[in-house]
Formats: sequence, C-alpha cells, structure tokens
Amino acid sequence: MIRQKLTQKVLDLPKTDLARVGVLIALLLLGAVLSPGYLSVGNMRIILLSVAGIGIVAYGMTLVVISGEIDLSVAGIAVLSGMVGAALLPSGSAVLVISATLATGICVGFINGILTSVIGIPSLITTLAMLGIARSLANILSGGQAAYPDAMPEYLWFGSGTLFGLATPIALLLIIGLCTIVLTQYSAFGRALYATGGNSRAAVLSGIPVKAVKITVFMISGFLAAMMGMLESARLSYINPAAFAGVELEVLAVTVLGGAALAGGSGSILGTLVAALIIGVVNNLLNQLGVSIYVQQVVTALVILAVVLPGLRSRIFAK
Amino acid sequence: MNATTINAPRTSFMRKLAWDPLIWLILGIVILGSLTSPYYLTLQNFDTLMRSMAVIGLLALGVTVVLLTGRIDLSVAAIMIFSVILAVVLTNAVGEALGLRWLVKGSTFVGSSWIFVALTILIGGLAGLVNGIGVAWLKVSSFIMTLVMLTALRGGNFILSSGRPYYLQTPAIDWIGTATIFGVPFSFWVFLAVLVFLAWLIGATTFGRRIYAVGGNEKAAAYAGLKTDRYVLIAFVISGLCSAIAGVIFTARLRSVDAPLASGYELTAIAIAVIGGTALSGGIGSPWRTLLGAMAFAGGLNLLSIWGIGTWYQNLAVGLALLVAVGLSPASRQKIRL
Repeated sequence: MIRQKLTQKVLDLPKTDLARVGVLIALLLLGAVLSPGYLSVGNMRIILLSVAGIGIVAYGMTLVVISGEIDLSVAGIAVLSGMVGAALLPSGSAVLVISATLATGICVGFINGILTSVIGIPSLITTLAMLGIARSLANILSGGQAAYPDAMPEYLWFGSGTLFGLATPIALLLIIGLCTIVLTQYSAFGRALYATGGNSRAAVLSGIPVKAVKITVFMISGFLAAMMGMLESARLSYINPAAFAGVELEVLAVTVLGGAALAGGSGSILGTLVAALIIGVVNNLLNQLGVSIYVQQVVTALVILAVVLPGLRSRIFAK
Repeated sequence: MNATTINAPRTSFMRKLAWDPLIWLILGIVILGSLTSPYYLTLQNFDTLMRSMAVIGLLALGVTVVLLTGRIDLSVAAIMIFSVILAVVLTNAVGEALGLRWLVKGSTFVGSSWIFVALTILIGGLAGLVNGIGVAWLKVSSFIMTLVMLTALRGGNFILSSGRPYYLQTPAIDWIGTATIFGVPFSFWVFLAVLVFLAWLIGATTFGRRIYAVGGNEKAAAYAGLKTDRYVLIAFVISGLCSAIAGVIFTARLRSVDAPLASGYELTAIAIAVIGGTALSGGIGSPWRTLLGAMAFAGGLNLLSIWGIGTWYQNLAVGLALLVAVGLSPASRQKIRL
C-alpha cells in the first residue's frame, strides 16, 4: 500500500514539472522578443554553461532535501576540495589531483552525514559550521593563494573540453542528471530516500536504514559539490580559495524552485534541472539588459522567496 | 500567576553558577591568558575585549530571543551593516533636502549623527519586521526567510554603496566609538543596557513567559489562547533592533562602513547563543546565559589573537566551537523547524 503510494508519488512528479517547463519556454520567448539572436545555439550554450555547475550541485542538494535535511556547506566543500587538488598539482599526476579533489568532497559529505544522523546535530547547524570550517581549512591549506592548473590538460578538460560532442560541463550536467533520475525514481534507494524524508519514523519502523540513507545523500552532495568546484576552476583555469561565496543560496533557490519541499519527502531531479535552466535564463536576460550582479543577487533572493511562499507556490505550480 | 512560580528559586542561583561549566571555561581562559601572555591582564586588552564583546554580544542577544521562539535568524550581520549603509544614504538625502552637503569628498559622511543613529535603528527594526512578517504571517520557514534576507541585504549593501566604503566622521559618532565611562567603553554600556532590558523583558514579564511558551510548545500555546504569531513577529523585530544597535557601535569604532564587513558574524552570534545554553528547538535559554556565552567566546577569540593565531584559524575555531556546543547540548540535538 505504502509502496504503491510512493511509486505513484514518484511517477506523478513529472506532471508538476510541466508547469516549470511552461515557465521556461515563456522566458525563452520573452528573451527572443527582447533581444535578437537570443535563441541562437551560441547563447543556449552560454546559458547551459552558466548553470552547469549550479545544476550539478543542485542535484545533490535535491537528494539531501528529499531526505529531510539541508546542506549549506557546498561552497565550503567546493573550495576545500579544490585546494586539496591544488596542493597536489606539483605531483603532475592528473589522476591523483582529480581523485583527491572528488574524494575530499565525499569525505566532508561523510562527516556531515555522521554529525547529522549519528550524533544528531541538526543539519542546518552541521553544514553551516562545516561551511566555515571548510573555508578556513581551504585558506589555511593554500595560504590564501590561488593555484593555476594550466599545465594539466586532463584537469582543464573538465571545464573546457568536450564529451560526446558537447562541452564537458553540459555533458556532465545531463549525464549526472540522468544517473540521479534513475537513482531517485527507479531504484530501491530512491524509494528509501522518499520514505526517509516523508516520515522518518515510519521509515525506521519499516526497516529502512534511515541513517545510512542520510549519510549516503550527504556523501553524494559532497561529491557533486567537489565536481562543481572542479568544473568552475577548470573553466577559469584558476583554483581560488575565496570562490563560490553565497553559492549555497543559489543552489537552494534552484532546488526549492524545482519543487523540493524543505520538510522532506518530495522533490524531483527533473524539476531541479528545469529550475536551474529557468535561473540561467533569467540571469542571462538580466545580463543582456546590463543589470549588475548585485541586483541579480537580490533578484535571486526574491525569486526564492516568491517560490517558498506557500500560497503563491500552490497557485503557480499546482497539479 | 507570578514570576516566582515559573522561575527557579533565587537561593540556588549562586550554587547553579558555581556548577556551571561555562564559568569554569571563562575562568580557564582568563587564567590561561594571564599565564601565557604578559599583555593579557592589561587594561588595554580588556578594553579591546569589551568592545568586541559588545558587538557580537548584541547580535547574539537578538538571535537568542528569536531562538527562544523556536525560530532562527541568519540575517543579523547583514542587517547590522545594511541598516548603517542605508541610514548614511537616507541621512544624506535628508541633508540634500535641507540644502546641506553631508557627504563630502564623495564618501565621507559629516551630517547629523542623531538622524543617522535614529534611522539606523529604525531600519534595523523594519528589516526585523519584514523577517517577522515573512515567518509569522506568510509562514515562510525562518531559516529560508532570513537566508533570503541575508543575501538580499548583502546585495543591497553593494548596490547602495557602489562597493566603496563610507567614512563616518562626525564628533558624535567619534564619541560613540571611542568614549569610555568609568573606564568602560561606551559600547559596552550599551550592550549591558540592552542585556538588562532583555533579561527583564524575557525573564520577568508576561511577554517573556509567552515567548518561552511559544518556543516550548507552540501548539499548546496556541490552544491556550496565545496569538503565537505576534510573539514570533516581535522577536524578529527585537533581533533587528539589536543588530542595528550593534551596527552603530561597530561602525562608530571603525569610523567607516563597507559592504562586505562582518560577513559570517551570524555564525558567531548563533554559536554564542548556543554555547550559552539556548536550545535551537526553542523554549530554553536566557539573555544572562548568552552573556556568559559571549564572555567565553570573545575571551577565547581574544586569546587566539593574543597568541598571534590568524583569522583563518579563528574562523575554524568558531565552526568547531559551534559543532561541539550543539553536539553537547541535548536540547539542541532534536529536529528543528526548517
């Protein structure tokens, strides 16, 4: 019975995403009207590149939010893992640098998961503290100095290479999206995830390893945050310990806009992907209209506020 | 109902204090400081200590009141800087309306300090009110509402100041930043005054008991006939006001205000409140305990500075202290409202 309901819930989600796709198409048309050449392949590529990193982290955030927790440490993880990789640059081994970067993300995510689900510190506090800790460690490790991975083409490939004929960040956005969609909607883990966030106690009583589920999603979130850090650093060929300030709110905005409720138990990766594209199109439009980045910051804040207002939300994104 | 039936009997106060681990922590810091550095027990160091404690203590007091209602406020540091910057801009506009030049050399404020201070506090209160309306009436989770506020106001700071600092050079602001009364910095007196007022408001009035009731069990409080929304709203306004007051003394000491100042102070404020024993789940804690938290925290950071340990390590210590404090506090290790 519960299983049937859960499956139904999972299958119903794409329908609610239709409303978001509608908003996205409307925005694209608006862009086409406001600025000629908006719908060109070149501009689409720019939009996709601009949201690839945010989108990839937002997948992880969506998983964490579905499980009923939150991860504010993504920016900290991205810089710390970046600086761990940077410290290994002199070794000259791309495999070492890339795997150390991603492993650091997974490790920090694991610590977040342990502190939250085993020790019982609210994830809001765990990850807020971890954001500060990881940022400080990144600075301490690097002495506040940025690093330049110019001499490592494998590293740079993550930012400026191509995969299956697409720019690597765009290809990764789509591939990781597909993997997480399969994970959430067509696997036993996905069902356990929705059950954990929907009613943690019921999930425990029905034998779902709730703690393990939460630790796993924090590890995935950490991994994807490290991945985002690497994509962006590689794109700029510049690993900066002060990067990604405030990125957690942008990611959270995308996640919430994508339909994940902070109470847990609902949300979809597809919704998050569409939401990332919406944010990308809005920012791209504002850029083309010459609006400053700080105004964009305020607009992002207002968008997230508008989406979380419960009344407004059910009006816009009702089934 | 009178207060003594709810508050603990006074006789046990000293005894409770003696058993309080925080007191021993503070004593330990003082002893460690005086043993390891000849500079520690100087008047100058205590002056520095009191000034830094006043700012983060005020922020922590605001956060404490919000936490008592079971909500969280992440926007205190952003409100603190935003209210000062917007007040400079608005006071300058008032000056222009009066035909006076209150902003000289592009960014040096020399206008009316009284209008500036009054506007700062008003803006802080209004920002708190917006938080309160969002959380209490529109039912946005406090964490999202104040995170949105944090981002919006930080963006607003850059927009209003065009990314350049404003220099505050009026005699009154100078006085606020440097004056001492009976050897104690003016800013610390302000902190103490706010502390005593809030301790009275929270500890000895019906209003305070209702704040605890809302945080302790909101449903029960609502069934008992309390308009719980009103208390949540007022808690956010108090927090906004505390932030603005902190903003005045913080920027008066620096004689300038700059958009990215005090970023991350929200973490410090929450850490102080939690170290002082305020529970994230609401209903537990008091302004007096926050004073102890502020003493321990400011003392610890002061000691790290004296030992020549850099800001990065200090930030690391803040994060670790927050984790340890929440990890050790049983009341905070429950699921909190997101």
